[in-house]
Amino acid sequence: MAGKIKKKGQAGQARNYMTRTQAVKKLQLSLPDFRKLCIWKGIYPREPRSRKKVSKSATPSTTFYYTKDIQYLLHEPLLQKFREQKVLEKKISRALGRGDVSDAARLERNAARPDKTGRPRYTLNHVVRERYPTFTDALRDLDDCLSMLFLFANLPSTTAVPAKMIARCERLCLEFQHYLIVSHSLRKSFLSIKGIYYQANIQGEDILWLVPYKFNQRIVGDIDFRIMGTFVEFYMTVLGFVNYRLYTSIGLKYPPRFDQLKDDQGAELGAFSLEVVNPEAKGETKAITNGEAEQGPDPNVQAEVNKVVQQLRLESNEAAAAEDSLAQREVQGEEAPSDALDKFEPVAPGGDVLPQPSYSNTDPSQLFSNFTFYLSRETPRQPLEFILRAFGCKRIGWDSVLGEGAYTHDESDPSITHQIVDRPVIRAAMSEGGDGEDNQTTQKLGPNQRYPGRIYVQPQWVWDSINDEELKSPELYAPGASLPPHLSPFVKPTNGQYDPTRPLEEQQTEGEALDAELEDANGEDQDGEESEVENDMDVASEDEDEGEDEFGGFSGAEEDEAEEEEEEEEEEEEEEDGSEDVEESAARQRQRELEAEISGKPVPRKADAKAQAKLQAKKALLRKQRQEAEELERAKGMLSKKKRKLFEQMQYSNNKRSAEDMKLRAKRRKLEKELAKKA
Amino acid sequence: MGPKLAEKKRKSRESDSESDDELANGLSDGVLSLSEDEGDYSPSDDDDESGSEATEESEGEDENEVEDKDDILSDDVPSDVDGKAEIDKLVAQQGELEITEPGVDPRRKEEEEGEGENYRIEKDANGGIRYVYDEIDPVYDSDDTDAQVPVNTIGNIPLSFYDSYPHIGYDINGKKIMRPATGDALQSLLDSIEVPEGWTGLTDINTGNPLNLSQEELELVRRVQMGLIPDDLEDPYPDTVEYFTSIEEKMPLSSAPEPKRRFVPSKNEAKQIMKLVRAIREGRILPYKPPEEREREEEEKEEVHFDLWQDEEPQPPNPMHIPAPKLPPPGYDLSYNPPEEYLPTKEEKEEWENADPEDREKDYLPQKYDALRKVPAWGNLVKERFERCMDLYLAPRVRKNRLNIDPNSLLPKLPSPSELKPFPTVVQTIFRGHEGRVRSVAIDPTGVALATGGDDGTVRVWELLTGREVWSAKLSSDESVSTVRWRPTKDSFILAAAAGEDIFLMVPTHASVTPALYQASRDVLAAGFGYATNGQQQVAPTGKEPPAKWARPGTKLEDEGVLLRITVRSTVSVISWHRRGDHFTTVSPAGQRSSVAIHTLSKHLTQIPFRKHSGIAQTAAFHPLRPQLFVATQRTIRCYDLQKLELVKVLQPGAKWISSCDIHPGGDNLIVGSYDKRLLWHDLDLSSRPHKTMRFHGAAVRQVRYHKGGLPLFADASDDGSLQIFHGKVPNDHLEPPTIVPVKMLKGHRVVNKLGVLDVDWHPHHPWCVSAGADGTARLWM
Repeated sequence: MAGKIKKKGQAGQARNYMTRTQAVKKLQLSLPDFRKLCIWKGIYPREPRSRKKVSKSATPSTTFYYTKDIQYLLHEPLLQKFREQKVLEKKISRALGRGDVSDAARLERNAARPDKTGRPRYTLNHVVRERYPTFTDALRDLDDCLSMLFLFANLPSTTAVPAKMIARCERLCLEFQHYLIVSHSLRKSFLSIKGIYYQANIQGEDILWLVPYKFNQRIVGDIDFRIMGTFVEFYMTVLGFVNYRLYTSIGLKYPPRFDQLKDDQGAELGAFSLEVVNPEAKGETKAITNGEAEQGPDPNVQAEVNKVVQQLRLESNEAAAAEDSLAQREVQGEEAPSDALDKFEPVAPGGDVLPQPSYSNTDPSQLFSNFTFYLSRETPRQPLEFILRAFGCKRIGWDSVLGEGAYTHDESDPSITHQIVDRPVIRAAMSEGGDGEDNQTTQKLGPNQRYPGRIYVQPQWVWDSINDEELKSPELYAPGASLPPHLSPFVKPTNGQYDPTRPLEEQQTEGEALDAELEDANGEDQDGEESEVENDMDVASEDEDEGEDEFGGFSGAEEDEAEEEEEEEEEEEEEEDGSEDVEESAARQRQRELEAEISGKPVPRKADAKAQAKLQAKKALLRKQRQEAEELERAKGMLSKKKRKLFEQMQYSNNKRSAEDMKLRAKRRKLEKELAKKA
Repeated sequence: MGPKLAEKKRKSRESDSESDDELANGLSDGVLSLSEDEGDYSPSDDDDESGSEATEESEGEDENEVEDKDDILSDDVPSDVDGKAEIDKLVAQQGELEITEPGVDPRRKEEEEGEGENYRIEKDANGGIRYVYDEIDPVYDSDDTDAQVPVNTIGNIPLSFYDSYPHIGYDINGKKIMRPATGDALQSLLDSIEVPEGWTGLTDINTGNPLNLSQEELELVRRVQMGLIPDDLEDPYPDTVEYFTSIEEKMPLSSAPEPKRRFVPSKNEAKQIMKLVRAIREGRILPYKPPEEREREEEEKEEVHFDLWQDEEPQPPNPMHIPAPKLPPPGYDLSYNPPEEYLPTKEEKEEWENADPEDREKDYLPQKYDALRKVPAWGNLVKERFERCMDLYLAPRVRKNRLNIDPNSLLPKLPSPSELKPFPTVVQTIFRGHEGRVRSVAIDPTGVALATGGDDGTVRVWELLTGREVWSAKLSSDESVSTVRWRPTKDSFILAAAAGEDIFLMVPTHASVTPALYQASRDVLAAGFGYATNGQQQVAPTGKEPPAKWARPGTKLEDEGVLLRITVRSTVSVISWHRRGDHFTTVSPAGQRSSVAIHTLSKHLTQIPFRKHSGIAQTAAFHPLRPQLFVATQRTIRCYDLQKLELVKVLQPGAKWISSCDIHPGGDNLIVGSYDKRLLWHDLDLSSRPHKTMRFHGAAVRQVRYHKGGLPLFADASDDGSLQIFHGKVPNDHLEPPTIVPVKMLKGHRVVNKLGVLDVDWHPHHPWCVSAGADGTARLWM
């Protein structure tokens, strides 16, 4: 007896998936509401293994959700709120349809009053908790949240993006930045063409986000701000709770006190004053100070700092710098970081050496702690202020056009140790002696006026210093100097990949090196005697031809017998290549000498011999590569079809990467050559 | 009527200020009533209350009458509310002379006050001075109007009564009132031409005069016709006439006791109030606040923060949940000041710009700015964020296991080339001599001589290493020698060759053949003659044609060394010896039933083991160790047990047309060549399907052959003119798969008429092989 015939779509994979239309129907929502719910609850479509098995209809569906996910949404309390909202909208539209404007207005007015007939109020707290069961989960997902909120904090307000939302985003972002400053959690930052990337490490989680430059954002293409707004609504809730938790974890009160007046004057970070939760333990408020409250520009310390800076300038080797920083710490009388690892030295021989994570003896979070910065008006104040503060700087002054909250608006303040400038050097002043060293001693007037006793650097100095966790030499970053390349601190150097920080010679392959040398040799020859070069080139090309013939011989199948015999002979020749090559080269050398004699030119001996040797090496390399390729082909032939495909796919991506790297190396070689030529 | 009026008057006297309305009403009532019945009025002049009451009581009937009249009147008056004013006017016109009653009161008051002035000064309720004027007494002369000229003196009779008279009625003086002149037709025409003011062309019914209507009258007519209110002066919606004063009275008009509900608090109201109180207590009703303030407060309420993760519990990650992948961190080329080598060249830039935005590998071009202040805003940032949002909620997430392994680890572990050696690589000797194709080659078991057979019908024996021809015999003039095979034992030097339907067995002369060996070989061939004759005698009586005839080939050939000829029914294409050398099998594909024959040399006996084949037999071979025979048809290979006479197994290589097969000396593996360019390796223990399929040839594979002398090699010969040498090591352990490594392609034979290499054979112990080519040569590869 035959079994019961099974209907399609009743069991198996088909039951596990649901199209979007089915989901919307099941939840009895409109599509925008469904979208909202999906965004908030973090429900996303899935790709079934086999679309054909899953789809119950003939038409190809595009989006599939897990049935279980949709069932989970069915119990969502927000669903009821959506329905109430729909009811309210219906009421208003019905009133408008009847021409009952006053009634519609009443309902609209009541929209803010849920106790009457208004819009339902909802919060996303429970959703946040559901999506991130632990705080660490929330931190892990903070990348997108921060990027989004920082972007919205910089958007112009429109009907789609209300000013209130922007203000709240900005506030949350500034609060978050305050936490990073206080906890010194900022690790890296990177100036890219898209904006400024920051990386912070909070409770062991690396968080990377992008902050746009402070310009008016251009809005291009069709961007649905309703979708973005839904995301932002959720992210604002998340960041609010995250901020609360972060603040309370370091004993601060959340939300921090916000000074509307200062904010109106453009104080930004300075508009907040942090409060300690239990005032007995610490001071009442811990406003973001510019240092004057705690110590002030104590002349002794200042002198010390100046001395240190002087030393730093003079001595560039690392050891000295390390000593200095130690000295600094002693001078300041700061508590030594107690949670640092101690070095275990083996006392007696015979024990195993246990590896320890290396740490530097300078605390990167106090990198700028002894300096007073002054920002010129053309520098971006917000990122600089944030980074400097996060790395320990207490006193930052800036031009008054940059807003409120500065340590000083006076450029001539004597306590300033560093000034960040980003303006070109006027040519006339340069001629007087615009050397980096000179700005200490010579007093200049006019547009390039500089104050003695302080270091002038371009903004990139700050970024490079924090990324390398050491103070970079300011000469490289002096105003008007062409800057060293700014490298991304997020790229982990992997083996075999191109690394711009390492010299080219370490990275290039054997073949490339040979090629380059050959080219060099040719170039030199071209500089020298042209006729010889031609000759040489001829020889080389002949050789290559020969090589190619050999190469073709392996694959060519339709040669004549006679040809083939020749080939065999050649092959035999190849086998005893070494001795023959030497003989050959000797013969050629002789030939060349004869020719030179006839034409009456000096004989280029040495270079030629060298070039010859290189040519030989190249040929050997080629031969080796060819053999390897043949070997590979042979091995590939033994693979099954499926595996061969996989292998080729892997090979493809690897080859692509290596091709890219090769291109980069070639470009760099060219550049270096040009540089050398100039020099 | 009278007493009622009196009553009203009394009332007016009682109250200080009677409502004007009532007065006016009363007045008008009185006026009306007077106009109707003047006679009744006079007695009421001096009536007092009691009198009036008395008359009321005594003259009940009279009163009834009066009341009746009153009723009629009262009926009349309210019914004609609209035209009341008009009626009043009319009444005023008609009856003013007779009206005396309204004047009664003032006259009386005058007497009381005793003053001659037409007003008196009174004190009103507030003690102020109040002038009270006398009522105007409309006496006879007071308001005289001209008596109207009587227009009609004839009374209520039709005008037609006067048709025969020149006059119509008489005037007050008794004179005839002459009929108005009615002119003749001319006169009337003239009249009509001079239309006087208000002319209508109508005649007044009453007077007979032409009826002239004034403009107002015409308008009235028009309005009546239109169904409008006739008098446009008339206000259709006059102000309401207040019947009761809106001024609060000091004293109640009614002395009825106040109802309880006025002073007992309402239960319903209390209930309503309690409801509100409760709502306020519960906070459902909030005190009023301006909407902005309310909104702000509500927002603050929303922004309340607390430690959401106070009681956090780490949960095991849901295996079905795929966290959104993070965006990759920026690389060097995204820097505002990247190293120079990351900047695109002009071509790259152009290529990027010309490419469709979707095809671009990166959504940005690396750029270099020499100062931070020169970096502009990134235009696509919002769009990129938006796309990320779309990805987060709309992109299906799939967990992809990225193979982060070295692709080379996928490659099989091949033995190193040095391990694979030795294998033939180059041509050592070329054997030239055959005219036409060389069909078959074979190296003798000792490995010194090579036998070839060709299209020219000759069998030649060569010195293997030198390539010198040492012996040849022309077996057939018209048929080609399709195959040559040595007897595989070293105690003899016997070569089997097939040409057409004949199989020849010969003992070639060769330098290595000692006379003893030569004799032994001849003996082996001759041994069967006696036996064969016996056998034939036994067979003959059955009447059937014998499967083969064993005979001597004739003296000429016998002198050359060809000692035996076996003739079978159809052309033989394959000869295959048993390892002991006593049996060999031949295959003649066209032979149908008798296509596979097994010949016994010692008995000169030919047997046909199979009566049926599932296809055309292509080749056959003995199992090297067991008494089994493999027969290959076009599609399948069948293995028969020769002792039990049963089918052991069927192999299905999957080839379309098998050309050849060979069995590994170990007996467990088999290679098959096919005309559809394949070489197949079968593991007999594993499956009926091939273990490996090798497709390295561009044309049909004609011959496959294992090395039989202990080297792990096998070779195939193909029509593309090449031989391929493989390393094929069969491990001792049965569970391990054999290692098959292609090692060499030997190219050298020319392709003639799409035929390349036709046969291949291995040297018995060296890694050398010999190939037979369609170009008329045989080659030794070593």
